[in-house]
Amino acid sequence: MPGTMQYVVWLVGALLEAGVVVCAIKRKAFRRYLFLNLYMASEVVASAIRFEILQHYGFTSLTYAYFYYYSDALLTILLFLVLSSLYSEVFRELNAERYVQMGSVALFAGTALFSFAVVEQFSDKLLSRFVLEISQNLYFVGLLLTYILWAAILKLRETRTRLIQLVLSLGVYFSLYAANYALRNLYPSAEALFTVLNPLIGCFLPFAWAYAFWKLPEEARLAPAGLAVTPR
Amino acid sequence: MSKRLAVIAASMLILVGAMSLKSAVTSKDSGAVLMANGSAPTPPSPWK
Repeated sequence: MPGTMQYVVWLVGALLEAGVVVCAIKRKAFRRYLFLNLYMASEVVASAIRFEILQHYGFTSLTYAYFYYYSDALLTILLFLVLSSLYSEVFRELNAERYVQMGSVALFAGTALFSFAVVEQFSDKLLSRFVLEISQNLYFVGLLLTYILWAAILKLRETRTRLIQLVLSLGVYFSLYAANYALRNLYPSAEALFTVLNPLIGCFLPFAWAYAFWKLPEEARLAPAGLAVTPR
Repeated sequence: MSKRLAVIAASMLILVGAMSLKSAVTSKDSGAVLMANGSAPTPPSPWK
């Protein structure tokens, strides 16, 4: 069973997730970042149901495990949509939204096909394995997409501070999870430590996004770097 | 048409890159599962 500390971190995470939606509504940014807010709201709902199941069936029960992994897959798909909507936001002025949508669909379909090809060799629990595989694969696709978006932001000289903060926090979040996962694989003996770190990393994204909505107004812009003038 | 093909090609390239990254990260697979949503305690995987 999880300890008190894990429950506290879980509660803090859920409160921060709810905080993102509240801050977005307060700052009138709910519709502009619709998928992002839907993702955060879904996280809160998933947390509440997970808690209820945990209380009723216990931490080691199959019910909790299945609900946890299935809801995680759905949340990862939502996170992929969040990323896609951030791409649309960045490329809006180029009128490239249609291509972004097409790319997202192609990437999602490709990931689903690849995941199916991987799990096809197993004879049992095909659906569950597929859910786990697609969740993991989408995660790595998301990681790569975030850094490509960051490169696009730099290339397009995007100055919207809030948007930059949202994208960068997503990049840091993905990277922290990837680093934690890689270290866990490298040092299986210290798995307990990395397992404890996991929920703490989970709190980072809602915190950074709540900060972005609360502290940074939509019209805030980053000042472009000054040009160096060299005498001829 | 060429733009659409370019978008699909770029998507496939990203997919290949992501899967390569996954292979690199999981090269020393200890059976751990990567879960990246929320701060709920992660249960042991029932199908590993």
